[in-house]
Amino acid sequence: MSVAVAQYSGLSRRAIINTFRQPRYFIPSLLFPLMFMALSSAAFQRTTDLPGFPATDSFLQFLVSTTIIQGALFSSIAAGSAMATDIESGFFERLIASPVARTSIVAGRVMGSLVFGFLQSWLYFGVAFAFGMRPEGGFFGMLGVATVAAVFSAGVGSIASSFAIRTGSSEAVQGAFPLLFSLMFLSSGFFPRTLMHGWFQDAAGINPLSHMIEGLRYQIIAGFNLGELAVSLAIAAGFFAFGVSMALLALRRRLTST
Amino acid sequence: MTVPDPIVAEGLVRRFGTIEAVAGVDLVVRPGEIFGFLGPNGAGKSTTVRMLTTLLRPTEGTARVAGFDVVAEADQVRRSIGVALQDAAIDPLMTGRELLRLQAVLHGIDRAQANERGDALLETVGLTGAADRRVGTYSGGMRRRLDLAMSLIHEPQVLFLDEPTTGLDPNSRFALWDEVRKLNRESGTTVFLTTQYMEEADELAGRIAIIDGGKIVAEGSPAQLKAKVGEPTLQVTVGPNHDTLPAEQVLMAFGDPVPAEPGSVAVRLAGGAAQIASVVRALDEAKVEVEGIELHMPSLDDVFQQATGRRLEGAEGAGSADSEVTAVQ
Repeated sequence: MSVAVAQYSGLSRRAIINTFRQPRYFIPSLLFPLMFMALSSAAFQRTTDLPGFPATDSFLQFLVSTTIIQGALFSSIAAGSAMATDIESGFFERLIASPVARTSIVAGRVMGSLVFGFLQSWLYFGVAFAFGMRPEGGFFGMLGVATVAAVFSAGVGSIASSFAIRTGSSEAVQGAFPLLFSLMFLSSGFFPRTLMHGWFQDAAGINPLSHMIEGLRYQIIAGFNLGELAVSLAIAAGFFAFGVSMALLALRRRLTST
Repeated sequence: MTVPDPIVAEGLVRRFGTIEAVAGVDLVVRPGEIFGFLGPNGAGKSTTVRMLTTLLRPTEGTARVAGFDVVAEADQVRRSIGVALQDAAIDPLMTGRELLRLQAVLHGIDRAQANERGDALLETVGLTGAADRRVGTYSGGMRRRLDLAMSLIHEPQVLFLDEPTTGLDPNSRFALWDEVRKLNRESGTTVFLTTQYMEEADELAGRIAIIDGGKIVAEGSPAQLKAKVGEPTLQVTVGPNHDTLPAEQVLMAFGDPVPAEPGSVAVRLAGGAAQIASVVRALDEAKVEVEGIELHMPSLDDVFQQATGRRLEGAEGAGSADSEVTAVQ
């Protein structure tokens, strides 16, 4: 194993270990989307009968992909906060005083978000399954959703990390949360675009999250479809590329400004 | 082949906006020595260390550490040095053993070697029993010892310790001093130690530079620096309600008078500390009633005071080099 790979995996391992050792951070970020899923499934079940609503067995089936992406958003913000905490505590300085590849400081966090996003998706599937969700796309449909969620987690985690590196403040990272959350609510994640109208429909139409979630939802309510999945994956990859570029740029700025 | 000096700095300057934190530092640290960098808070110690450890670029000047330029060859410098910065920034969620292994991985050490060295270092710093506990449960002294072990995992040529005992209780401080001495003696690692405690510099360092206001104001071995200050001072206390004149007449024969507390007389002993027995005899013969006698040897605080006109902050908290003889009558 090359030195660089060992450094990447060592820092990724630390990011994952740290996530699981702080239940007060990751449990709320796991539970809130689940609660939202439970409440919405109960409250909006009848809406699936509306003309124009995509054919689905239940609102839970319709919503589970949204829940997974919502969970990815929550946990990725936590990853950014953890990076800020490293800067505040001086651990970041310890890292840069060692001969570690600079990119692995970001890559460690990104990999941590990726793995957590993937595992978290299966937890949400498990809970939804227990309450009657039966994915039309089967195992491969779920695997596709979990993979896209993992890439999206890594992307958002990188964006959050870039805020952390730029500001060195966990409060500033938390401050970015409403922005991302608004993006989520301005999408078709909670309701089909066909039943929206006016500016909201327009906003959801141009929101990349809508298209990403719709591609994922297709795997659950209609069946495994590579084309739909590819669109979702491309959007998640876009977030990933944007996030990683931002984080690396922020890191370079921070290192050269000292 | 001659070994290059592990640290050579020439005209190091670092400005933050209009503030000049380091204002032209020249340093040469020789192989295998413990070099003390002593100064009060805000003197420029940590800024100098941060430049020497590649964490901060100098505004002006150059520095070579382990033979490499700190700007142009920063990566080689990082491979050659161990750094334990102020406040021991250690991840509280990980165990001591996990952190040592991570540090080894960051330095490109393979797993088998990392485990072996990690276990040996845990033993050295007395943390084997606590190795699998999360660092968040460690005391301040244990964290500093782990920090020291982490900075040694790759067997660095030069070790930077930035205020390693600030905030520690005396026992933890002495234990850490022992570790540093042992490390220097057994492996010959060059140690660059910053401290605001003169006792620490006095105990550990073979040579010392005193920094104040971003500039080095004195440099040399502790003995050389103290010798420059001059002879020891002897203070005889006769009590606030007694006449000090008889004592003054006796003491005048042993040296020049210096200002003393009320009820006391002090002189600079021209013949050194060896004269103390003669002074006691002379006082006895003159039937001077004495409450106490204090011998004040020159300390690094006196060196600092002579160089800057001020006392060193924190000097009291770290003990002093004074010796005291009390109640002879």
